[in-house]
Amino acid sequence: MLMPKRVKYRRQHRGKMKGQAKGGTTVSFGEYGLQATEASWISSRQIEASRIAMTRYMKRGGKVWIKIFPDKPYTAKPLEVRMGSGKGALEGWVAVVKPGKILFEIAGVEEEVAREALRLAAHKLPIKTKFVKREEIGGEINEG
Amino acid sequence: MALDLKAAKREDFKHSTTKQLRQEGLVPAVVYGQDKGPKHASVVSIDLLKMVRDEGRNAIISLNIDGDKPVDVMLHDYQMDPIKNELVHVDFYIVNMSEEMDVEVSLRLEGEAQGSKDGGVLQQPLYELQVRAKPNNIPDEITVDVAALEIGDSITIGDLPVSDKYEFLEETDTTIATVLQPDVLSEEDEAGDADASAEPELVGADEEEEK
Repeated sequence: MLMPKRVKYRRQHRGKMKGQAKGGTTVSFGEYGLQATEASWISSRQIEASRIAMTRYMKRGGKVWIKIFPDKPYTAKPLEVRMGSGKGALEGWVAVVKPGKILFEIAGVEEEVAREALRLAAHKLPIKTKFVKREEIGGEINEG
Repeated sequence: MALDLKAAKREDFKHSTTKQLRQEGLVPAVVYGQDKGPKHASVVSIDLLKMVRDEGRNAIISLNIDGDKPVDVMLHDYQMDPIKNELVHVDFYIVNMSEEMDVEVSLRLEGEAQGSKDGGVLQQPLYELQVRAKPNNIPDEITVDVAALEIGDSITIGDLPVSDKYEFLEETDTTIATVLQPDVLSEEDEAGDADASAEPELVGADEEEEK
């Protein structure tokens, strides 16, 4: 599962998820991509589940790029513990995703295969997404 | 032959005015090049998109700003809204038809590779090529036939036919397309590994221990 090898601090503030993604909004490595249309935290488990769903569907052939990395730690307190006594223990890792971000990219397969693989991957995620093709100005409009 | 595109001069740069322009289906633009100062204009977004779709990204456009003398320009840069998929802003570059210029030309693979039929995976690491040519000689796109590629083979820039109208600026050993062995799903791929709540080491932890 994806997580950083080394970090500077064990715990982080939760932060806000305002606005749109600043970078990573175009399909840059593959031919097809899955674009987020909502903001959310995506956990390393969700990314892994999506990856497995995609690679399992594509069997062999094709290449998958994961364009997000869960570099933000999130913590949780154990059940039935009163508030206070410091911040909870590390529970997992998330990637902060904002609208417009390309989450996964696929190349080397037919469009129908890519579309289905990304549909299966999208079902493992907590946000609405859309299928996009490599951007070409004036070309075919990206479909939802 | 240059394509005609009408543009209106833009003098009010307030955000509210620009926003209104976009709501009316126009897109703000800037025109520069050949040591001429920038001119601010707006063009009809749908007209520009149709023109680029029909004639290609590097088409020569004859831009007519408010009835002034038309200038030959090329679409130099553009910004799109990733969510709405609409043009936000475009840059036009004034071209000198007798002077060579560097542009990006899209690259298209043609045919089904023999290696793909045998179970390999065709990969295209490069989708656009840097080309130097006179504006009239810029190709719409460069097509590469990959039908003969077998597993393990690749095509590089050096393998492309040389033309006297344009030259490639990329290194000759840059790979355009390659056919790889298919990936086999390993157990690790299937199951994933590592506990998500495992704590990574802290930066500088070793130094503290030494102290």
